[in-house]
Amino acid sequence: MTEQDFIFDVQHVTLRFGGVTSLNDVSLQQSRGEILSVIGPNGAGKTSLFNCLTGVYEPQEGSITFQPVPGKSISVVGRQPHRVARAGVARTFQTSRMFNALTTFENVKIGVEAHQKTGPIGAMLKLPRTRREEKHSDQRAHELLEYVGLTHRTNTLADSLPYGDRRRLEIARCLGTNPRALLLDEPAAGTNPSEKLALGELIIRINRELDISILLIEHDMKLVMAVAQRLVVLNFGGIIAEGTPRDIQENPRVIEAYLGTNEEAAT
Amino acid sequence: MTPPGPQVRKWYQSLNAEDARRMTTAAGGGIVLAVMTGPDGSLTQPLYGFQQSVLTAHVIGYLLFGLVIGCLLTYRAKVKDGTWRRVRTAPKRTLVERLTSIKSALQRGMLAGSGLLSAVIAIVVADFTGPVARNKMSWHVLGHQFLYTRTYGYLILAIALWFAVVNQIFHLTNLRIQSLPRTVVAAGALLSILVFSLTSDPFLPARFGWKALNPSANNSLFHHWTTYLWLILGALGTASYLFKRRSSPKIAAPRRSRTLVVTPSMRILTYVAAGFLVYEAPKYLSLYWQISLYQQIGVFCLLAIGLNIVVGFAGLLDLGYVAFYALGAYVTAYFSGGLPLQPPFHLNSFLVIPFAVVIAMLAGVLLGLPTLRLRGDYLAIVTLGFGEIIYVLANDWVTVTGGSAGTGTISGFSVNLLGIHYVWNPSNPLSYYYLMIGILIPAIFLFDFLNHSKVGRSWAAIREDEVAAQSLGINALKYKVMAFSMGASTAGVAGVFTAVKVGVLFPNSFVLSLSITILVLVIFGGMGSILGVLIGAIFLQWLPSYLTFHSYFGYQQTDLYLYIGALLVIMMIFRPQGLIPSRRRRREILDSEAGLGSADSLGPITQEQPS
Repeated sequence: MTEQDFIFDVQHVTLRFGGVTSLNDVSLQQSRGEILSVIGPNGAGKTSLFNCLTGVYEPQEGSITFQPVPGKSISVVGRQPHRVARAGVARTFQTSRMFNALTTFENVKIGVEAHQKTGPIGAMLKLPRTRREEKHSDQRAHELLEYVGLTHRTNTLADSLPYGDRRRLEIARCLGTNPRALLLDEPAAGTNPSEKLALGELIIRINRELDISILLIEHDMKLVMAVAQRLVVLNFGGIIAEGTPRDIQENPRVIEAYLGTNEEAAT
Repeated sequence: MTPPGPQVRKWYQSLNAEDARRMTTAAGGGIVLAVMTGPDGSLTQPLYGFQQSVLTAHVIGYLLFGLVIGCLLTYRAKVKDGTWRRVRTAPKRTLVERLTSIKSALQRGMLAGSGLLSAVIAIVVADFTGPVARNKMSWHVLGHQFLYTRTYGYLILAIALWFAVVNQIFHLTNLRIQSLPRTVVAAGALLSILVFSLTSDPFLPARFGWKALNPSANNSLFHHWTTYLWLILGALGTASYLFKRRSSPKIAAPRRSRTLVVTPSMRILTYVAAGFLVYEAPKYLSLYWQISLYQQIGVFCLLAIGLNIVVGFAGLLDLGYVAFYALGAYVTAYFSGGLPLQPPFHLNSFLVIPFAVVIAMLAGVLLGLPTLRLRGDYLAIVTLGFGEIIYVLANDWVTVTGGSAGTGTISGFSVNLLGIHYVWNPSNPLSYYYLMIGILIPAIFLFDFLNHSKVGRSWAAIREDEVAAQSLGINALKYKVMAFSMGASTAGVAGVFTAVKVGVLFPNSFVLSLSITILVLVIFGGMGSILGVLIGAIFLQWLPSYLTFHSYFGYQQTDLYLYIGALLVIMMIFRPQGLIPSRRRRREILDSEAGLGSADSLGPITQEQPS
């Protein structure tokens, strides 16, 4: 890992809500193309970190730099969420946030379209560019549904999808925005073991085939250990450990704070 | 020995006695029907009609119609996969066998039901096309028609037609081969309808000077009700062909769901029919309703589809919508010199429209930019305040707006361009109506395209989950302001149309209750659905005037809001999604009742901003 070629560089970020410190002097760096997993007990600040990385929260201290392509740095702090998204950061949510009344296909299409140029005039008059973009987004949405394996659900309403499919749909919707970094917030929550397995494969596939860096929050240690190349452990808003899956599993502080004994880790 | 090649035969060589029988039956049926439905046939003089109507265009028309039907039947029976066959298609059966061998009780039930229905329709048709009820919709002379043979003639015709339609339905559901190309069927049906309606018009002979039945008859093609009814019947018949499922008969597929797929041809047919209705129907209305169509209904339709963008598409609650309407109206007054503040130049009322659009849009952007960051009830309150500000300005800023005494006269619509001179005159209310239609229909289509485009989907995304929408890169504020200002500019256009028609503006016409009325139109019709909103607007704007003329149960005009309020309450209990909701909105409302999503972008944000 060279010093320059990172995708996210978080330096001394502190985030406070009134008197509560959610993130305390957090620094971490994700290198390009890496699957980095953030783990930690509930309330450790994992989702707050995600919200800082996507511009939803503005940390009081520290800097967050995002590099969509090598050598092009963008400061995330103070940037509105949609502009961060446009720069190439896509995310899923802890509780899946679909557009429930829309079909699977429409959900993905919105993701693709969010980065197209069509404006209201073009849309009303169906100008050539609108037609072209419409065609492109249709095609792309179909491709993405196929990629995540939801072709058979194309016209299903999002709210009638089973949990596992919702997670895939959310991922497909993110991929529609052509992200450089994909932030997954507990993608395996509520899924069954076989869905978890497939999800792990999908995450690895996205990382390898599409060359997208992935930041993963997950409680399921089996999935994390199978997928992640590197782990960061958060507790009480601070980083307590960082390293390869093997290192983390043997780290006494992590075991004390989070992993616990074997029986607990299985849940 | 070479195998015998396919036998080449001319099409007429395939015909046999069965076909001849079919053709003569059809033609004979046509003549009988012609005599029975002829304008002069009556029960008291059964043969008088025959004597009078033989060899009139009417009889020839029915004869042609019968022949066309016979040809269609023959063609369908004889042609399979594009080639004529000699073989009989069905085993020979007696009439009793035919009647008793219908496959199931369901089919018999359908036949009986459709027979009853067709009888009712036939009586209505006879009534409206009969000589007594000529050119007017009237129920008062209903019974009279039974004196005329034409009632019975129509009865027979209707039963036959229904039999054909039911037969067609069975064909559809059984997925049998339809050998006739659809275009041929449609063209043939339309042609025969045209010929038939032309010739069955009882005034036609007079038109050609053959027989002066009624010298005072109006010579318009569409003057007679018969034409309309046959056109509708023809459209239904054609539709039953066009609705045909596109599936291969070779595959013994399991029965699929019976939902009909709307084909493009079907859609075009609907547009043509609707356009025709919109063009023709107002001519038959009384002068009062012709006048109402413009201001009371047309302008409010425009306002409602404009507010539908804000409330229905983007899910924002705008309680000050009337402010933009007022703005458009006062801009018109300004440019025609009707305000105390004189304009630098006077403008033709048509040229004011772009100004009104831009000014209302700017007002929308200026109001929207700071306020659309707000959530929930705050936006409603700010827009409410804005509506009041505009009202107070119009009322109290006397040096600019003329105050409560009203504005000066506003010039009407006129065109004086490239040798075309036309002045819209209040004595011809339909000219205003067509003008309104001219702006309303493009607006409907443009807004519909918008709703089904990227922009519309972005609105839906913001409405349902703003946080998720933003995480995809959708600029929520931009899209909300866009919706807000587009709604505003539509109201601005409506303001121009109102100002020009009423001629003088008073601030009292732009009060809060009007904003709420427009909102009610949108909610009643079904948020997010242009069709629903239009129907809601037409119905709710029509109702008060109707009630004024027919005061049921001692209705008085002051009670209006009581009734509309009650209607709305009942609506919210039994059909919260509105009369004809859009599919998306209906699902959202169902979802939000189940605790999923927010149904509009007013809901509380789930993630608090750090303080």
